[in-house]
Amino acid sequence: MTAASFSDQPVPMPRARRRTELAMLVFALAVVLLAYAAASLGLSGKLSGLSVYILVYALMMIGAHLAVRRFAPFADPLLLPLAALLNGLGIVMIYRLQESGRNGNPGTVVTDMSTSATMLQVLWTAVGVIALVAVLVLIREARILQRYTYTLGAVALVLLAIPALIGTSVNGAKVWITFGSFSIEPGEFARLALAVFFAGYLVAKRDVLALAGRRVLGIDLPRARDLGPVLIAWGASLLILIFETDIGTSALFFGLFVAMLYIATQRKSWLLIGLGLFLAGTWLTALTFHHVMSRFTAWLHPFSGSNPTGISYQPVQGLEGMAFGGIFGTGLGQGQPYHTPLVQSDFIFTAFGEELGLVGVMALLLIFGLLVQRGLRAALAVKDPFSKLLAAGLSFVLALQVFVIVGGVSFLIPLTGVTTPFLSEGGSSLVASWILIALLIRVSNSARQPAPQPIQDEGMTQVVRAA
Amino acid sequence: MNRAILRISLACLAMFVLLLLNINYVQAFETNKLAGEPGNIRIFDQQFTYQRGSIVATGDGSDLVIAKSVLIKGTNTYHRVYPYGPVYAPVTGFDTIYSQTGIEATENNLLAGTDPRLAIHNLTSLLTGKQKQGATVAVTISPRAQEAAYNALVNDGGHQAAVVAMNPRTGAILAMASYPSFNPNELTTFDGTQLNDTYNKLVRDPSQPLLNRAVTPNFPPGSSFKIVTSSAAFSTGLLANTSTTVAAPQPLRLPNGNFLNNDGDIPCANGNPPVIEAFYLSCNTAFAKLGIKLTAPVLRDYANKFGMNQTLDIPFQVEPGLFPEDSGWTDPSLTAFSAIGQFDDEVSPLQEAMFAAAIENGGTLMKPYLVQQVLTPSLSVIQSTAPTAFSHPVTPEVASDVSQMMYEVTHNPAGTAYQTAGPPATSIQIYGKTGTAESGLTPQESPDDAVFSCFVPGANPIAVGVIVKGGGFGADAAAPIAVKVIEAYLGHS
Repeated sequence: MTAASFSDQPVPMPRARRRTELAMLVFALAVVLLAYAAASLGLSGKLSGLSVYILVYALMMIGAHLAVRRFAPFADPLLLPLAALLNGLGIVMIYRLQESGRNGNPGTVVTDMSTSATMLQVLWTAVGVIALVAVLVLIREARILQRYTYTLGAVALVLLAIPALIGTSVNGAKVWITFGSFSIEPGEFARLALAVFFAGYLVAKRDVLALAGRRVLGIDLPRARDLGPVLIAWGASLLILIFETDIGTSALFFGLFVAMLYIATQRKSWLLIGLGLFLAGTWLTALTFHHVMSRFTAWLHPFSGSNPTGISYQPVQGLEGMAFGGIFGTGLGQGQPYHTPLVQSDFIFTAFGEELGLVGVMALLLIFGLLVQRGLRAALAVKDPFSKLLAAGLSFVLALQVFVIVGGVSFLIPLTGVTTPFLSEGGSSLVASWILIALLIRVSNSARQPAPQPIQDEGMTQVVRAA
Repeated sequence: MNRAILRISLACLAMFVLLLLNINYVQAFETNKLAGEPGNIRIFDQQFTYQRGSIVATGDGSDLVIAKSVLIKGTNTYHRVYPYGPVYAPVTGFDTIYSQTGIEATENNLLAGTDPRLAIHNLTSLLTGKQKQGATVAVTISPRAQEAAYNALVNDGGHQAAVVAMNPRTGAILAMASYPSFNPNELTTFDGTQLNDTYNKLVRDPSQPLLNRAVTPNFPPGSSFKIVTSSAAFSTGLLANTSTTVAAPQPLRLPNGNFLNNDGDIPCANGNPPVIEAFYLSCNTAFAKLGIKLTAPVLRDYANKFGMNQTLDIPFQVEPGLFPEDSGWTDPSLTAFSAIGQFDDEVSPLQEAMFAAAIENGGTLMKPYLVQQVLTPSLSVIQSTAPTAFSHPVTPEVASDVSQMMYEVTHNPAGTAYQTAGPPATSIQIYGKTGTAESGLTPQESPDDAVFSCFVPGANPIAVGVIVKGGGFGADAAAPIAVKVIEAYLGHS
């Protein structure tokens, strides 16, 4: 039962733990199935015929598990079950919202939801799972991506620029491109491409960027000429903010860059510079652009004057929904989340707050937190610096995204429109989230898989098995 | 890089901790504040998603549902229904999507199920998966008396009028009818615009259908106030007993030189009759003189003991009668008018019933009340009303003297209500006092208001107050309505 190693690195666990993953996945699917049953019974008192979607969903997740078993046998056993649980609960909530006021169910119709929203979400889940499998098959080691650093950087720039050029403005933010009745949000994928680009770029340049310049107030400032990249990233995020009026994407993009810069260089000064630039940029745009300023007003004074029925209407509805849920919630299908405009996308967390209560959303946050923690754990354990930086960046941006949207809808910070990973209605976010999980699975597999056969020359690395 | 990743992990942890703290704040500590925000749609809608409690009339010993919530087919929304519409409207009030009146308002938390006393019941329902439901409010109203009262008012030629009947021994209100009334079913619509239209129409209606005349002091008591005047005179020793003679000149010259006349300027018997005769003939001058001797403060003191100028929660708040301290109210010439209910005093039918009830109950006025019991949906009693004495206006001896006089009003062939509430009209022994309140204008311009205050003693006692605006002579317009209510209540119809 002891494994001895001459390495000072943590001992890689020899067990693949795929059975653990399967057990956890079955547990997650059982939770989703029960949630679906609760929602259906809560709505109409009987089980609806849409149960087939849940079965299809379960089969897809088992398929994903088999793919992980085949292509990433040493992956972290919790990543897939956690993602499956979130995605499944998202489908249940979208089903519940879609049914509201329809087919004899109580409530009012969520008018901007199609009657096939659940089906579409299941379809997008399928696309997401295919993307997951594709990533696992095509990218056998995360560091392969390092070769495409600048290619993906260019792809990210194009993806970010497209909506500004040909995008459709939805609720003040221009982040969508539409093909007929079908629309995608390129920013979701841009974020992933950027994470790869930053990881590749920073691994190459981190030694230079870590060089100390002057020391002010006990903090080593970087050299002035090394400020270039951070200023470019800042400028780009401001351009997104100005041309696409999308605070959320801009904040995630810049936050991702600064966090990865800090991890790569270990210089706290980058954090301070980044934070300072972000606050200054936001302040300037808030003063210049009405759309940005109104978000602050809605946050600071949601209930004053005409705000509750005007600019704060949506966030106030979300907040009152959460408060209405209280500690235990109304139960799935028994609240009134349909009062909140666009509840199925940015505000879906408030619908969970209303129907699952404080206990339910605390559990959701813990699931997100666990997902982030597993990602960071993979980053800590993996040896390759590129994979390390990539996994840490992706985990951080996932945490930041949850913080921005959940903090926004619960009035902790001003509201910025980003999707809730895995939960919100919409294909781009879902597929991007699955790709993110695929990358974390890939990195965690690298971190946990046993070292290759000992190579004679390296002397110290012989692995001794003692089973 | 691991050290930096650990720090970033701490930053992630901090973000999640902040989120957890914040949602705890929103969903555990701020819930009441947010629930109370004006325009909270969920709180507003919630009230229709479970069954509001019923209001039942139990005064006849059986339950008659007078307000209930029924499920609208194919929805989970309940709709308020008043099976008898305008008949019980003064009791139930209405329950619109925005506000309530009457019992619907005062018992709202119980009917809606939000009262803390229902917390345990609600928790049990939650745990056993039962639908949340409001409490049932049982009112003291006797359906027989109530329907007789409302029908009598409807058939009274369109006068604005109202009736209150109560049990003099307990204070339980047996009937409370007002005409014109309104149909509360018209106000239960979920359509806010339609509701506003209907409501505004009712508010603008010159006949004031929303006014609960039964408990609104809107009428001068007229001669029925002689119950109070004679009670004060007996109690203060001004009159020894019912055969004590009183001076009853026609006309009475007041200290300020004006004259006060009897009805129709008719002399009162021999001008110096026993008080009992002055009472059943309803001579104004005799009681005006008594009033001057008693003085206004004493008269007002007795009026207060009979419930005037008092605020009562029956459970909705009412002031059954007013005896205001207007300018010059202590002037003996004005006190003379006060003593015969013709100055600035105003009463409601409830006040008239309370005059009679106090006399029937040996001088003790019981506090009037409408809510007998409140029951949880599982029928356990969470509130029950025990009768309480409100005041002791007179001693049993004085009450006996006054009731003797009230007996003569209906049983002496010369009594003002002999024809309409005495043996020619009914086999029931009714004790009463008529009132005919002059409005100061000629009868052609504005007919007098008719008032009748009466009771029936015995094993099944009842006290009734009736006022008919512009009904003319009290005995003719008001007394027959009281007789119908009493006969219905006692099962003699």
